[in-house]
Amino acid sequence: MNKLSKSLAIAGITLGAGALTASASSHREAPAIAEDQYVDNTDVYAFISPNDATKLVIVADYVPLLLPTSGPNFYKFSDNARYEVHIDNTGDAVPDVGYRWTFTSHRKIGTTFLYNVGPVDSIDSPNLNVTQTYKLEKVNEKTGATQMIMNNVPVAPWNVGKRSFPDYEKVALQAVSTANGTTAFAGPRDEPFFVDLHVFDLLGVGGSHTTDGVNVMSLVLEVPIGEIASAGVRPAAGATTKDAVVGIYASASRPRVRLLRNNRSQDDYGGFVQVSRLGWPLINEVIIPLQDKDKYNRTSPRDDVSNFGAYILDPEVPKLLNLVLNAGCPATSAAGRTDIVGLLGPSGTKAADLLRINISQGQTNAMSHFPNGRALTDDVTDTLLTVACNNGGAISDKVDANDKPFTQTFPFLASPHSGNP
Amino acid sequence: MNRFLPVILLVAACGKAEHHAPPAPPAPPAPATPAPAALEHATQADLAQEIGDAERLGTWREVQHRWQGQTLRWTVTRQRVLCGSADDCNVAAFPVQRPAKQGWLPLLTFAAGQYDALARACSSQDPCEVSIEGTLSALEVSPELPTKVQLSNVRLVSAPAGRAQTAQR
Repeated sequence: MNKLSKSLAIAGITLGAGALTASASSHREAPAIAEDQYVDNTDVYAFISPNDATKLVIVADYVPLLLPTSGPNFYKFSDNARYEVHIDNTGDAVPDVGYRWTFTSHRKIGTTFLYNVGPVDSIDSPNLNVTQTYKLEKVNEKTGATQMIMNNVPVAPWNVGKRSFPDYEKVALQAVSTANGTTAFAGPRDEPFFVDLHVFDLLGVGGSHTTDGVNVMSLVLEVPIGEIASAGVRPAAGATTKDAVVGIYASASRPRVRLLRNNRSQDDYGGFVQVSRLGWPLINEVIIPLQDKDKYNRTSPRDDVSNFGAYILDPEVPKLLNLVLNAGCPATSAAGRTDIVGLLGPSGTKAADLLRINISQGQTNAMSHFPNGRALTDDVTDTLLTVACNNGGAISDKVDANDKPFTQTFPFLASPHSGNP
Repeated sequence: MNRFLPVILLVAACGKAEHHAPPAPPAPPAPATPAPAALEHATQADLAQEIGDAERLGTWREVQHRWQGQTLRWTVTRQRVLCGSADDCNVAAFPVQRPAKQGWLPLLTFAAGQYDALARACSSQDPCEVSIEGTLSALEVSPELPTKVQLSNVRLVSAPAGRAQTAQR
């Protein structure tokens, strides 16, 4: 039994069809979002907390492949965007509960080009010149009503270097905030996704650790499972109903209109328009073809089968694996890859690009492995390549782990690489 | 400047003439947009062809006008994982092994009792090729959003070989 089958069995997820699937994440995956880096959603993770099995951890990463030495204007979240995590708790692929982050940037001293004007030993240090705060709201996605979870929460600063941050992680962890039973973190972290990106050079994978040494902007939540469960009640152990599995995706949205002026800063108008979304790793990256990638980012998971189902039934990846690597992936059967569709709709839920995880009582962190949620350590590229090829063997990019170890305490992601180690 | 002068004068003259022109007779009522010809024999391949043409020619509105509201009879493939209930049913419009040029899978909503007829007809056969008839109630085609095809009031016309069945009307 391979590791994917094991995790499915442990999770108690029932498949609509027999076989398995795999893919990767979503860094610069579509033409339009590649031009708007700050709202490019790269990965979503979800797992039962290793420290409290009554809580679910959700990680949504944005702003891909960040060089640590990126001053003087170090990376941050966009003030003119909405960053959101959406949760379907009824199995219809329509979100019921959401969390929304809105950011505001601050500057203490305008007469310097420096991010910080001296060593920083705490998150409220007067030496930390450029800062960002956020508000976190819980959204009833059926009514649009919002509930403030926390406000004026500091974003962890960029890890500028050893002269600026003698003990960076001590300062960064001061950005962890708990309110109303929810713990949150926002800020730079080591890029947790590991892959050989030479895959995009005609599938030229061979073990190059191409995401080592780069950072990403992370949003991390730890919420009581009852807060996101249908009717606020965690399903009983062993439940096989649709509401035992929640489906999660992250998105970013921009205001509809941006007005640039010669004599003042830009203005933004209008409602928010979704410009990026992601549930499973690698769906938009390698399943959706170029002609539809931007369209995918504009649409909702509930329409994924209607809009993009033909690409899922007959994915391009196994053909490329055969063409380039002579991988021996069998031809797609007349039925198509219904196994992949089944994985996208476990336990009778509507198939969609949602990261599904069983939240019923008795689920533990050890059971949270892709595609039942996604742990930080999951090698989803290998899993998805193996499933896509479906030749009975394992397909690997030969990059099997992150460059930094993950932690067992919130926010679980590794400290970001320093700009001056 | 000289070369623009005739144009300016012409525009001015036209404007002046228009200003002094006698009132135009009342315009006849604008002809209603002609109803599109019935497409009862049109297949999903014809629709896909027109969508492909629209990508090149920008004829999105024309495609929608011609096709939306038409009653169509198509042969499609039902897979249980994609069409497991009357409330959640998509079918494959093209043979799967033909590389997909477009991503859409028609969304079906059924006339009363017709999903059950489909399920009975296909029984354990999966995938299951069937002929259906329905109204193309929603066709979303544009350069900016994915194509979406919805057939409503769908009735089963014929089932797989050996399970032939005519829709109850």
